[in-house]
Amino acid sequence: MTIAVPAILIFLLMLATMLVGMPIAVSMAAVGIIGGIAAFGGPFIDSIAPVVWGTLNENLLTCVPLFVLLGELLLRSGIADRMYTALSAWLGGLPGGLLHTNIGACALFAATSGSSVATAATIGTVALPPLYARGYSMRASLGTLAAGGTLGILIPPSINMIVYGSLTNNSIGKLFIAGIVPGILLTLSFMVYIYASSVISGTGKREAKLPLVDRLRTLTFLVPPLVVFGIVMGSLYLGIATATESAALGVVVALFFVWRAGRLNREVLETCFLQTARISGMIMLIIVAAFILNLTIGLTGIADAITKWVTSYGLSATAMLLALTLFYLILGMFMDVLSMQVATIPITYPIVTALGVDPIWFGIYIVLMCELGMITPPVGMNLFVVHGIRPDKGGIQDAIWGALPYAAIMILFTLLLMALPGLATWLPSKM
Amino acid sequence: MNRVQRVLAWAFGAIFVALSIVVSIETLARKLLNYSIQGADELGGYALAAGSVIAFSLALIGRNHIRVDVFHERFPKRLQAWLNVLSYVLLAAFAVLLAFVAFKVVADTLAYRSTAPTPWQTPLIWPQGVWYAGLVVFALLAVGYASRAVWLLIRGDIDTIDRDFQPKSAKEEVREELEDFAHRGGTQVAMPPSAEFTAGTREAA
Repeated sequence: MTIAVPAILIFLLMLATMLVGMPIAVSMAAVGIIGGIAAFGGPFIDSIAPVVWGTLNENLLTCVPLFVLLGELLLRSGIADRMYTALSAWLGGLPGGLLHTNIGACALFAATSGSSVATAATIGTVALPPLYARGYSMRASLGTLAAGGTLGILIPPSINMIVYGSLTNNSIGKLFIAGIVPGILLTLSFMVYIYASSVISGTGKREAKLPLVDRLRTLTFLVPPLVVFGIVMGSLYLGIATATESAALGVVVALFFVWRAGRLNREVLETCFLQTARISGMIMLIIVAAFILNLTIGLTGIADAITKWVTSYGLSATAMLLALTLFYLILGMFMDVLSMQVATIPITYPIVTALGVDPIWFGIYIVLMCELGMITPPVGMNLFVVHGIRPDKGGIQDAIWGALPYAAIMILFTLLLMALPGLATWLPSKM
Repeated sequence: MNRVQRVLAWAFGAIFVALSIVVSIETLARKLLNYSIQGADELGGYALAAGSVIAFSLALIGRNHIRVDVFHERFPKRLQAWLNVLSYVLLAAFAVLLAFVAFKVVADTLAYRSTAPTPWQTPLIWPQGVWYAGLVVFALLAVGYASRAVWLLIRGDIDTIDRDFQPKSAKEEVREELEDFAHRGGTQVAMPPSAEFTAGTREAA
């Protein structure tokens, strides 16, 4: 109790420095270092050294740059762009037409990429001009793209899951496998909503069906992403490879497809390498800072103190999770989601696991909260992204309103996951 | 700066492509031939150590070290400038601290002639030397950026600070993605096969 209250105040102060625009990594490291020195004096600096080397020499985390590289290769070589073509041929005939294609393409793209901004931007650029030209409602179009883009972090491979796994010492492979069923169900929920709202409103569009031969021909466009996904997840699920090994296999196979597509040239590679380095550098610096903060939290016993303090109120796990959902919903409105996740896990993880919540389940829950944060205003990264690429002129409110039903679906889905935790925990338990 | 970025990007890419190939061969050999070339794990750790420090610098140059701009962009210009400069100064301080603790790691390794606790018994000074050098470069770069920001603030050149030290906005990220997209000729590739659809796309364009 004594240490818990000031610790929570310091934690809120850290969030405040992040919100006024200080670099996320620096805010976390500063709190960790200042807190550590306050508690243990100068020698604390010595104990940081092995943490920094240990984090950056951790083979498990090597999968971060590898998965980013994998996604970049498929994206920059144009392989991902073609998926939209194939899916529009197959899904366009449903009531709601190309809106289904948006969700389906995002889900499939998510299966190979860890970045949701890239997902929304790529699919959006391909999809929006034809959607506009064919008179689809701009709101619905922007909403499906923004919401579909969030699937990128739920459907594995997911950078957010890797970060969660490394910070909480949980198996990244299990987290990936745990994301599959919720990822598919959430995708289907989005499509059911599109179907139902198109049928009910009576204004829904659908596309003319292409001849089967043409449709079958488009399937070749789906081969590269499906093969890459199959190899990465298959090797993980069968226990053949660790997360890092499966990422390495994925990169090699992706390089093969880039070569087959005739895009294995200097320019494409250079763009991929530079982008991968920038994204990985940003993520790894945050991870290093998070481990420094974790060290302070661990050494001072703050996490224990806060956990004891919170659990002394006798909250049930469900009540705690409902409170956290509200907390993450609000925080996600203002913060970048990866930063939100990294900054809060050291406090929330010990509390919920002390209440008996399954650690793998909580990882999926956190990712869902991050997804929600991407489409809730005022700071919903995906809202900005799809708004930035719309072909007509219009306000950001179209994207916000368009995405709102999907935010509601996500919240309902989170409640469903609380009621049926097996949706996330069943598949990894079979590994 | 572009040239430096290119060289660093290729170094980074080479590390991870080479690692992917080695690890893939190791994984396949282990499963299919039941034969293990030891040490792919160890190599992965060193690759991350060397790759990350290169990536820190590239993310600094590309302004990718993430900052939240929702409130920041609503502040008065002068306050924004002060916060921009402060964030670069703090980032530089963090980078210098990392280089400093890395120095301690390297000094210990040299003093005890440490080797990795693995079959290879790699002398740790090799990977750690590269790692340390990378962190020093990152620290120097960060101090350079911070000094420029402070200098601009002293001169009162708020506009330049505004241009060069602002958090990267979603708009900028989208623009970069779109440029790359146009560059790789995405629209043609992506056009669906139906004639009707193609016509629609042309209208929009």
